[in-house]
Parts: sequence; structure tokens; C-alpha cells
Amino acid sequence: MSSDKVAVIGGGPGGLCAARSVAEIGGEVLLIEQRDFLGGTPVAENYAGLTPHGEPAQPQIQQMIEAVTAHPKVEVKLGAELSALAGGPGAFVLTLRGSKGAETQTVECGAIIIATGFSHFDPGRATQMYGYFEFPDVITQADLEAMLSAHSVIRPSNGQAPERVCFIQCVGSRDRQIGNEYCSKVCCAVASKEAIEIRQLLPDSKVFIFYIDMRMYGFWENEIYWPAQEQHHVQYVKGLITEILPRGDRLLVRGEDTTMGRPMEVPMDLVVLSVGMEPSRGTREVAKLLGVKQDKYGFIEAVCGPLDPVGTDREAIFVCGAAFGPADLEDTVSSAASAAVRAVGYLRSLSAAAAN
Amino acid sequence: MPIGGRKVPPVAVEKEHARVASTISGREVDLPPMWNRMFEPRVLTDYGPEGFAAISRLPGGESLEWCYGCGKCTPVCPVDMVGEYGPRKIHRNVQTGTDLFAVADLWLCTTCGNCLRVCPKRVDMIAIMPAVREAALSSSAVPAELQDVFEKTFRLGNALGQSQRRRAQWAESAGVPVRILARDPAPVDVLFYVEDYWSFHPRGQDAARAFARVANALGIDWAILGPEEKTLGDSQRLAGERGLFDSLFEQVTATLAKYEFRRIVTPDPHAFNALVKEYPQRGQSFEAQHYTQLLAPLISGIEWARELNLRVTFHDPCYLGRQNGEYDAPRTLIGAIPGVELVEMGRCRENAYCCGGGGGGMWLDGFTSDYTSERLAERRVREAAGTGADVLVVCCPYEVPRFSDAAKSTGHDDLRVCDIIELIDEATRIGTAGG
Repeated sequence: MSSDKVAVIGGGPGGLCAARSVAEIGGEVLLIEQRDFLGGTPVAENYAGLTPHGEPAQPQIQQMIEAVTAHPKVEVKLGAELSALAGGPGAFVLTLRGSKGAETQTVECGAIIIATGFSHFDPGRATQMYGYFEFPDVITQADLEAMLSAHSVIRPSNGQAPERVCFIQCVGSRDRQIGNEYCSKVCCAVASKEAIEIRQLLPDSKVFIFYIDMRMYGFWENEIYWPAQEQHHVQYVKGLITEILPRGDRLLVRGEDTTMGRPMEVPMDLVVLSVGMEPSRGTREVAKLLGVKQDKYGFIEAVCGPLDPVGTDREAIFVCGAAFGPADLEDTVSSAASAAVRAVGYLRSLSAAAAN
Repeated sequence: MPIGGRKVPPVAVEKEHARVASTISGREVDLPPMWNRMFEPRVLTDYGPEGFAAISRLPGGESLEWCYGCGKCTPVCPVDMVGEYGPRKIHRNVQTGTDLFAVADLWLCTTCGNCLRVCPKRVDMIAIMPAVREAALSSSAVPAELQDVFEKTFRLGNALGQSQRRRAQWAESAGVPVRILARDPAPVDVLFYVEDYWSFHPRGQDAARAFARVANALGIDWAILGPEEKTLGDSQRLAGERGLFDSLFEQVTATLAKYEFRRIVTPDPHAFNALVKEYPQRGQSFEAQHYTQLLAPLISGIEWARELNLRVTFHDPCYLGRQNGEYDAPRTLIGAIPGVELVEMGRCRENAYCCGGGGGGMWLDGFTSDYTSERLAERRVREAAGTGADVLVVCCPYEVPRFSDAAKSTGHDDLRVCDIIELIDEATRIGTAGG
């Protein structure tokens, strides 16, 4: 009853890349997505441009989707949610529940790749200090992405273009009180990329980024951070904002300018919260249903160490992308391809053993 | 509504210009920042890109906003060791609303170049400061003592305000003939550009005479311009007077065009810097050397008369060493003098500590004293004395007067300060104790 099919759970960039990779090396794939569309968070959250270079997100993701859906070895199930797991390595049986009705179906597979991704930190949770729900002009990076997609960055309070915009870094990350002690890895680059896009869209605007330390890994330093500062005149200020207070029809952001050693109070028209990553609801639920180990934050734990970053504690179940921790797109597609090779390799070694 | 219902939004106070009126005379005075700060509002609120934009518009000012605040400049900035000034702080101050065109910090940089040497982002204060100073010249913000030197240079062609007729007076007591081109315009190998401090300052004149004797002993074919010589004005340029430098450039090149010579040799690293970096940009390229570069390959041919039995330490001039890469020629000369042992200071060669004289600092000691705990030259003299040396030897005309004063004011009267050429001269003469 063994199956030579790989089930990929999640149809975002990681799942799409895993499915395509399995198919390209000759494996059979079943791609399971709970939403009614493929593309994952970049599509659901209406991303404007991809980090680092800001290429338009939707056409890029669309290309990935087409490569997967057009491939004869890939079967896609949309609107399908995992509800139970039976069987074992080489012969899993997945029960899928339709998102609209109650119809269920079972599918067989030999190996599983979890690509259930992340969700953005909810800025209304645990801390109210930035007044996300009190002040219309406090928004998140994801809200801003949607505005950038529409080529219209405005103050929600009055519909006017903002003159002064700031980003506050590390919202919901690196925070023991909130429980997210990790760095979300991408927000510094996303903030810098979005800051550049605002400056291009609104040349008269003044854009500030308040940060603890700018984490611009590898080429992000010279490809995003330096151009943002040197060519687009984004103002980087070391020191996080503690709180936001209303001041007239503006917002007063208050914090410490740490290199000056003095308090700062700076008026802003639009405040963007650089919210971090948390395990998505799908990641939490799928982890429980499949019985794979999670870390204290709810991400799936890659238990095998740095040289095997896609293995879980269960044989034949692999993980990729932001399901096992904060990841940028490059991390996500790299780990997805890696998981695909591991899954196909596992199934081939099973059939080779059976043939002997 | 304010969060929690109890907090009152703070009122952001605009920065005030701190002036204090004397209760006796009623005269209003600006207090220097170290005191001024006590009266300033603590809270910073004037954040924006406007300050950088104004500076970026000036040719040379583009890189100030590139600073990412790493702070590597801080321990190598000589002024940051003795005061509140520092390149990183300039960046942050401008970002938080300081008008660099109007504050004292603008005049504290000596353009020594050590910050640029270590800066990962290549923020170039050596270009930024002169550009902003030039733009500030039109305001009344120029310190009076610097303005005075600008005017003297403009009127008389030298920073010391001396009559040009006295340019070659030092040569009369050199004890050897010194050829002046106006009187004897035949082609010459070395046109020796004496510059202001060797022409007019008494201790500089000692060095000039020593040079004359050594050059003659080595059989160098050399001559000076004498009363026709005007300063090249490179330090005036770095202090903001580019217009004055350009005007001197026209006058100097017109004079030089009258004579045939193979190369220009100068004892002044600032003039050397102008000849190798600024003159070619303006279409005039000369073969230029610092005097140590002229003498280093010839020194083995000199006839020594005695051993000096001295332990010396050497101060690299910013504009010979760090700015133009010459560290070896002076050391070759020092090493050749019989009975001289060189002990290096911790900060030497490319990391040499500035004497405080560059970029206009030579003429700002009074102004600078309001903003610094001690002169840079004083700090440097302490370091020199710490090596146990008998003599602090130099090869920039600014430094003998600066370090001699500093040796006295720091209680190191026993530390002798002289130019390398004076030690060479001394070792070639029997029974004399210098010029």
C-alpha cells in the first residue's frame, strides 16, 4: 500500500516551489491549499513588491503558480484542509476537509512537506502602546503593502498624502513580554524597501526608520539599506519608539534617540509598524495533526541541526519556509527545494529497498 | 484620546538660541556648547532630512548623510579626544536639527583625515567641512581670528601679515649663498617654495637656513622666488576660502611661468598637498616634492661632522603622511643622522595624531580653546614626552611653533622641538648647537 506521491501542504511560495521541485525531478505531487487560491501570504496580503529588489509581486508569484498548475505531475486541491492523518512513512493517509461544505476525502501519499508559513504579528495583541486600533494613521507593513499595490499611500484619517512617515521596527519581535523572543529577519529589509517606495511615490515626503539595530543580511546591506539612506534620503534613527500620542491632527512618536542619549518626540502623519512573523494558524494546526515537534513559539522544529534544516522529528515528514521560523523568500524557496529532494529521495530509497 | 486616559501629550519645545546677558555690562554673549547644553531643552524634536539636503547640494557635501553611526571615527578624531566635536556626532546633530553652517563645530575640524581613513561608508569630512565653511563665509559666523588671516593672505600673500619684501630676509644670515630667481633667472633644477612659516616665523627661518646649508653641501641646484613668492593657501582653502585659493593659484602660476625649473620642492606639506592634488585639477601639473623626498636619496652623500647622541621621536604631518602617503622619506633622513635613535609614538604613520594646525586650525587656537579641554598639540607633546625622547622632530613648518608652545604649557620644557633639517645641519657642523 505504499505511495510514491509527495503531499505538499500549503500553496504559498514555499509550497509552490516544493511542488514544482518534486515534479521537476520526476515525483508525483499533491498540493493541498486551504484557501481557494494559490500564492499564499504575498497574494492574500496583496504584496506590492518583492524584497529585496521590489519586483512587482503579483506577476512573479503568478509565474510560480502557472509553473505548478501546468505541470502534469502536480495535482492541486484548493479549499482543502487537513483534518486527520493515518498510516505511516511511505503510506500515509490524509483526510481532507473542504473549507465550504463538510465533504471530506482521503488521499494517500508516501511523504509530506509542510509549507504552511507564517502570519503577521497582530499589533493589537498584548501591547496597545502603539495604538494600532486607536489611531487610524497607525498601520502595519502589510497595510502599507496594500496601499503601495494601489499606488496610493495616504493617511487613513483624512485621505491626504502624508508628509512625514515613520517605521517602527521590531513590533512583536525580540520581545520577552509578548513571548516572541526571536528576530523576524525580514522586517528591516521590508521597511527599507517600503521606505524607498514611499519616497519614489511621494517625493516630498520625509521618511524615518526607528530601529534597535538594522539587520540587513548579506547583499541587503548594499542593495537596500545604503541606497535607501544615500539615494532616497531615508532617515535612520537608532532608538525604538516607546509610545505614540496624539498631537493635534498628527501623531507624536516618543522614544530615546540612543546615540544622542536624549528623549525624542517627533511629529508624524503616518506610522508604520514593522510587524514580525508568527506561526500561521495552519502551521500550528498541521503540526498537531501530524504530530511533529514544535518550538515554544509554535513553529515546527527543525530538529536535525544546521546541516539538515528541513527534517522534522517524524520520518518522511519535512518542513520548509516560514513554517519552521522567520524566513525571507530566498530562505523559503531554498528550503522548499531542499525538502523536495529529501522527500523524493526518501520515497526512492523505499522503492529501491522493496525491489531488492 | 491619550492612552490610558491619564497621560497628557507633551509639548515639544523648540530649540532656543542660548544667549546670556551679563548682569554687569548688559552685554549678551553666546555660551559655548558645553555650558549652553545645560539650558537647552532635553527633548529632540527637529528630525528631518533638510540639513543633509542643504549640505548635499554643495560639491563635496554629498557624503555626510551616508553615516550609519558605527562610531569608528570617534577614537581617531583628534578633536573628539578633547571636546564634544566628532564626525559621527556631526551627522546626528544635523539629522536632529542643528544648522551646521552656524555652529562652532564647523570650525573645529582640522581636516586631518583620520576619520576618513577608518570610515566604512567613506563619509569625507575633508570635503564636507571646506564646502560648508565656504558657504558659511557669507554669514558673520567666521571666527574673527580666522577672518583676520584670510584678509592678511588676501592683502599680502602670506598668513602672517608680513611684508612680502621680507620674504627672503632669512637667507641673508644662512652663511651660504641663496639664489633668488628674480635676480638670476637662469634655469634651475629645484625651485624651492619656502612658504610662509619658513619665510617669516623665527623658528621656521632657522630651519630654512639649515636647509640652505644642507642643500648647498649636497650640491643641489636650487633657487627661491624671494619677494615674488606668495603662499599657495591650501590651509585657507580647507578653512573655507576656496576663492582666495583660486585667486592665489592664478598669481602663483603666473609667477612660476616666468622661470624654468625641473621640480618644485617645499618644506610645507600643505603646499605639497596643493601641488599634487589641487593644481592638477586646475590644469597645472608640476613635479612636486616635499623636502624630505628630495633629500632622502641624497643623504648618504653628505659629510657628517659629529654624532648627536639623541633619542628622538617623530611626528608625521597629516598632509605628508596620511593625506599623501609619504612616511618613509622623513624616517630615512632621521635614520641617517649619526647618533640619533628613533623611538616611535603609539600613534604614528597613518594613525598619527594631528597637531591641530591643519584646515585653518593654525589660526583658530583662541576660538578652539572655548570648545576643547586642551590643544591637540599639547596632547601630542605629552605622547611624545612619554616615549622618553630628548627631541620631538617634525617636518611641517606649522609644528615647530605649535609643539614648542605646547611643550612649555604642559611642563615639558626639556623636550626639544625641531625640524629634521635642523638636526641634519647640526650633525654636519662641528662645535655648533644648531642654527
